[in-house]
Amino acid sequence: MASIPAASGPSRPRCPESSQGPVDSPPGPRASRVQFLHGGTLSARNSVVVRLAGESGEGVISCGDILTQAAARGGYYTQTFRTFPAEIKGGPCMYQFRLSDEPIWSHGKDVDLLVCFNQEAWDLNWDSLGPEGVILYDSIEVTIPDEYIERARPVRMDELAKEIGGSTRAKNMVAAGAIAAVIAFDTTPIEELVLRRYAHKEGVADANIAALHAGAIEAHDLKGRYPLVPPVEVEEDRMLISGNQAIAVGAVAAGVKYFAGYPITPASDILEWLSVRLPQVGGLTIQCEDEIASLASVVGASYTGAKAMTATSGPGISLMNELIGYAGTAEIPVVIVDAQRGGPSTGLPTKTEQSDLNQALYGSHGEAPRVVMAPVSVEDCFYSIVDAFNYAEEFQVPVLLLTDQGLATRLEVIHRPDPEKLNIVCRTTSAGIAREDYKRYEYTDSGVSPMGLPGEPEGMYVATGIEHDEYGHPGYTPEIHLGMQTKRLGKLEPIRETSRVATHGEAQPADIAFIGFGSTFGPVREAVDRLAEQGLSVGAFYPRVLGPFPASRAEEFVANAKRIIVPEVNYTGQLARLIKAETTINELESVAKCDGLPFTAEAIIDLAAQEVAA
Amino acid sequence: MSTRKPNDYKSELKPIWCPGCGDFGVLASLYRSMADMDLDPSRTVIVSGIGCSSRLPHFASTYGIHTLHGRPLPVAMGVKLANPDLTVIAVGGDGDGFAIGAGHFPHASRRNIDVTYLVMDNEIYGLTKGQASPTSLFEQKAPSTPFGNPEDPLNPLALAIAAGASFVARGASFNTKALTELITQAVEHKGFSYIDAMSPCTTFNNTQESWKDAVTDVAPDHDPTDRVKAFDLALRGGFSLGILYRQERTTQTERYRAILEQAKPSDVNVMLDGFNARKGAAIGKPA
Ligand SMILES: Cc1ncc(C[n+]2csc(CCOP(=O)(O)OP(=O)(O)O)c2C)c(N)n1
Ligand code: SF4
Repeated sequence: MASIPAASGPSRPRCPESSQGPVDSPPGPRASRVQFLHGGTLSARNSVVVRLAGESGEGVISCGDILTQAAARGGYYTQTFRTFPAEIKGGPCMYQFRLSDEPIWSHGKDVDLLVCFNQEAWDLNWDSLGPEGVILYDSIEVTIPDEYIERARPVRMDELAKEIGGSTRAKNMVAAGAIAAVIAFDTTPIEELVLRRYAHKEGVADANIAALHAGAIEAHDLKGRYPLVPPVEVEEDRMLISGNQAIAVGAVAAGVKYFAGYPITPASDILEWLSVRLPQVGGLTIQCEDEIASLASVVGASYTGAKAMTATSGPGISLMNELIGYAGTAEIPVVIVDAQRGGPSTGLPTKTEQSDLNQALYGSHGEAPRVVMAPVSVEDCFYSIVDAFNYAEEFQVPVLLLTDQGLATRLEVIHRPDPEKLNIVCRTTSAGIAREDYKRYEYTDSGVSPMGLPGEPEGMYVATGIEHDEYGHPGYTPEIHLGMQTKRLGKLEPIRETSRVATHGEAQPADIAFIGFGSTFGPVREAVDRLAEQGLSVGAFYPRVLGPFPASRAEEFVANAKRIIVPEVNYTGQLARLIKAETTINELESVAKCDGLPFTAEAIIDLAAQEVAA
Repeated sequence: MSTRKPNDYKSELKPIWCPGCGDFGVLASLYRSMADMDLDPSRTVIVSGIGCSSRLPHFASTYGIHTLHGRPLPVAMGVKLANPDLTVIAVGGDGDGFAIGAGHFPHASRRNIDVTYLVMDNEIYGLTKGQASPTSLFEQKAPSTPFGNPEDPLNPLALAIAAGASFVARGASFNTKALTELITQAVEHKGFSYIDAMSPCTTFNNTQESWKDAVTDVAPDHDPTDRVKAFDLALRGGFSLGILYRQERTTQTERYRAILEQAKPSDVNVMLDGFNARKGAAIGKPA
């Protein structure tokens, strides 16, 4: 499988890479680069960052979605980031998307085009504007301070929408038209999408397209202010997909047949998507009365041999903890997705955080085996859920897959995975072992014992969470407990050496080594490239499996580094503590950021600069 | 014709219950009933929670899952949904089913999961040494209720009927012949069948003799298909043994099977193509 192309210079030793998928390998760098007409590089990647803001329900999200979709259709790479209010009606929402003709790794920091649907939108978002950023605002709702008026243009969103369609509903299309004009984006793909969406509603499509054109005329004097480099060589295999969707479809590729869940933001998409899809492949999805019942029924389904999973967020994981210990002890494979949100308690239900790492690693009483994983991108969500099932099946353990609100809900253009090329593992069963003396929990070299499945006369046993001997019979002697703990925890040890690690930049950076997990990989990766351009020797090391931790490989990676920076989105620096606990690495800079928002590449670059200045 | 004998369902483990414990009678009835039905042990799964009674799967030579305190019903549901060919019997105590696991009981009932639920009701927590349970009587003295239980007991049969269980019956450990028959009817019933098996804890709440005196059979003219009458009978108190309620209703398994049959077959490649950026994937909506 492809690994990441080296950032610069001759080939250096690289960290072990993917056995599963071309996770970090969108197509290589473009041959030619088009210069911006009005001079000034807006960003290193010829990208445009657009932020829409308004009241939830005003069309902000649908406007962002349709533009993102149209851009993907038009051949651009895109990454989105959105925040919702926790309330259903009303409250401020924001949709940011970044477009580029080249692969992009983060949603961007400085906004080039800010679109304000109301006054609050301006009040909450003005400071995200880049130094040259322009503003589109609703002509009636919003007042812009004098110092910005030069680069702000009023758009008659409500007025035009009413004039054209008789209601303010098409307001989002007026905004979309204006945005398209500013970034010189051909509206054809938008129109195609409108026609498709309203194929059955006469007149609606026409009104929307008219609103789109009207919006474009409104912004005509900003036309082409931020022209996007048009994409060249657009492959046919690109997909526009969210982290949650990538997990759901990846689970189907892995062979999931049973999903149980309880609604919770930001994981519900997985439940909803699979409720349509699983019956189409002979499986089923059920909404349970709570997260305990969800995981309990997943345990039951897996006991029969079915690949089974659930998905939730922090509060749900809290409820599942006892069952995670059970599945580990009874050695029943289960997959649990945790789309992390801001905690503690109900916390920030619609914001992002990486604060369930401790809970995933250590939750549940006693010392229960589990594998804890964190995909680093939307594309990686697909491959990681396949890995999660593989680990669950191979080692007969619960596997927790940690994403976060940002990663779970953002849309990204990725390359279509080829299911044929996946390595799919199924558990070892007692079938064919035909033995009188079947021992479900037999001590073996690998620590993994063949699992009896109902229907196999030779495999009969009682799964249990009580300490047990090799037969599964309750037993509490020191020998049994020590023997079984060694079996259950020891069987996972090989994963330390074989798990996939996402890396970027130098394999043994001399200046700065970044170690992180999950969704911070995108901005860090981008920062690594830009810091390397400044002549620094930089690299990033992102274990996809955090428990068991790839300690020796992490140590090797930082061996030459002057600085080790560990960025994460939480308060206490959970990964930094894990690294200190698991490795010989002591001197590290823990950068724990706890504001409900993802890192930007710029913030990571600032980290590098801070110390240089100091 | 049954070819298997009750003893064929015995495991090599001897029950660890106190001498005289009602659970022996329940287990004996279960062995006999399984033999009467000639259940294939390798296609039978006994699921339990935690408690004295929940040890039962270890004493049967079938497949079994000894789960967590309060969780046998959702686990049993997962087993049955994932493999509808299996016979699934959930067992446990009154604390397991109606205290910690009470959140699952009404849902198993209304979903009509195709599982038999056999509760060994001793009106006490046996395993943790005699504390009050949700079915303990008002003013009952126990280590945790030294001044007498200040709470009224829950009525599991009325709860089951109200919540939509399609088979609701009461049996007693000291009446193994009738209990055997009830278990057989419950397992053969299509849908969620609940049996409240009176099963005295001779160590911490020895009700054996008083219960023997208190039980009566459900009147022969009782119409178990009449939900209101069944509810009335359940609420009336006393201990009527037999089937209180029985209803023919599509099971959860059948409803999911119908969903499966209606679904347009697809595969992962088609699903991936649904996200194709060039063809304009419909965000959020399956293509
Ligand atoms: C989460 C949890 N809380 C408490 C316990 C301790 N516990 C074990 S069995 C039990 C009650 C058993 O009573 P019951 O379910 O009526 O079964 P019996 O022993 O009477 O058959 C309790 C409280 C536990 N195992 N797990
Ligand atoms: S404590 Fe009670 S319920 Fe438990 S085994 Fe003894 S008699 Fe039976």
